[in-house]
Amino acid sequence: MSLLELEDVHTYYGESHILQGVDMTVEEGSVVALIGRNGVGKTTTLRTVLQLTPPREGTVTYRGEDVTGEPTHEVADRGIGWVPEDRRMFGYLTVEENLRVSVGPDQDFEAVRDDMFDLFPDLERFREKEARNLSGGQQQMLAIARGMVGDNDLLLVDEPSEGLAPLIVEQVVEALREASAETTMVLVEQNFPLAMDLADQFYLLDHGTVVESGSTEGVTAEDEMIRRYLSA
Amino acid sequence: MMGLLSHAVVDAPLFADAVGRFFQPDTLARILIEGLGKAAIYFIIAIGLTLVFGLMGILNFAHGAFAMVGAYLGGILMVVALSSTSGAFTRIVFFIVVVAVIFALMTAVGSALEIGLVRPIYDRTPMYQILLTFGVGLILEELARIIASSQGIQPEPTWTAARDTIPGFLSAPSEIIQGLFGTNIRGFYMFAIAAGILLAGAVWLFLNRTLYGLYIRAGSEDPEMVEALGVDVRKAFTVVFGLGTGLAAVGGVFLMWDPNWGPSVMLNLDVLLYAFVVVVIGGLGSFKGTLIAAVIVGIADSFTTWLFNTGIVAFSGLPEVTIFLLLVIALIVRPQGLYGVEEVGGH
Repeated sequence: MSLLELEDVHTYYGESHILQGVDMTVEEGSVVALIGRNGVGKTTTLRTVLQLTPPREGTVTYRGEDVTGEPTHEVADRGIGWVPEDRRMFGYLTVEENLRVSVGPDQDFEAVRDDMFDLFPDLERFREKEARNLSGGQQQMLAIARGMVGDNDLLLVDEPSEGLAPLIVEQVVEALREASAETTMVLVEQNFPLAMDLADQFYLLDHGTVVESGSTEGVTAEDEMIRRYLSA
Repeated sequence: MMGLLSHAVVDAPLFADAVGRFFQPDTLARILIEGLGKAAIYFIIAIGLTLVFGLMGILNFAHGAFAMVGAYLGGILMVVALSSTSGAFTRIVFFIVVVAVIFALMTAVGSALEIGLVRPIYDRTPMYQILLTFGVGLILEELARIIASSQGIQPEPTWTAARDTIPGFLSAPSEIIQGLFGTNIRGFYMFAIAAGILLAGAVWLFLNRTLYGLYIRAGSEDPEMVEALGVDVRKAFTVVFGLGTGLAAVGGVFLMWDPNWGPSVMLNLDVLLYAFVVVVIGGLGSFKGTLIAAVIVGIADSFTTWLFNTGIVAFSGLPEVTIFLLLVIALIVRPQGLYGVEEVGGH
């Protein structure tokens, strides 16, 4: 049984038909990259998984259970974390409080938090700092940590390298690599080499449909298919 | 124009005398303590409004009506339960019980209103929320008017029987303040300061030391993100709207004893107006801003009231004009308020 399956998913924003029959399968323990040009529906796919933008047609299945139309908080509670584009920190909350929001009342917050601090030592130094005062790279680390806590088995990561300096991107990639050792991941990333470096599988989207998928092994930016769909 | 000014502002020798009196310790103490007492009342009536806007992005135009209901319900309970022979201790204890009962009752009512009326229109424009809550306020006001008239409580401006349930030591000048500063300040203002501090502390603890408070603070920045982290934001909306309603009603119970207010159908619009002034100056949705704005407005109110009482300004509406002038200045200089963020709440 796959961890996550999308079957013939159609999602709209108002009358705009964004996802036009997306099929996707994510196996437990894998890292799946969603690639494609701007506006092809990558972020919408992640939002659809979380039911933030529920599909009008098709089904989303998590651990074999249909979650289509479920309230977002219930879907998230099943073990799906989200690292959104632009990070969306709670700027007036401290680093620790940002993590606390993700952890359920029945979980041992101190233990979960310490695990995250082991993984991202920088965060421990700034634990009492408000998130709005962190650098872009630190905020991205916090966003990843916030997505991972809460017993999450699947992490949806949207454009983690966007707007970051190259040196910081390297740190974020390292953080994602460490995170991928602990959780399954769906990664939306414009930086093609970075996506291929991190992912085992890829789905190439164009105009709201999957036009190609498979193993990332041996796939390069020079491939005809990649050049056709990713070139501006 | 000159004629108006000559009526409003008194002679220069009196002005100099008033300035001299201002710097007397008893005057400064009076302005400060009475100002803080008024600030406590402004804070109590405004905090619910700012909480609801902070998380939900809803301008609750029924807020004043909830305070009015609190004032009348408090009055009914106090008048029915107390007799003219009830002692001061009994009156204070009963007042605290009434505050607790009305808070619980109105929190439940507010939660039910959120589920039944407000929730179905979250996805519509803010105008729907304004019209709905304003309509609820008008309905409650008319209901209060009908019931008060039928019971012979109105048409007098305020329901004096309810206001007279205040113990004598709170309606009379405080002996402690008299002894310390040699000035006469109603005991009620000391009571209001204590209650305001307690309430501010309780709300602060709720927001900063409980998990639900954390969800509310996070939700006031980005409710969708909070939902995506596994928190049922709709439930938080219900809790906050309920708490906002309960706090408004508690404010009403205090106004029942306030010498400047008292139970009246006019509370609907008056409370709404002053609560809005405080939260706009402080910054919509900001706890700290509401607290500081309440102090600014309270001190300004107290100072201008003193100016009128000493005769330096003969215009009785000076406190109101000053408070709304502060609002205008805030809107021009810092439209988001002292501690407001440019965008807050929303769905």
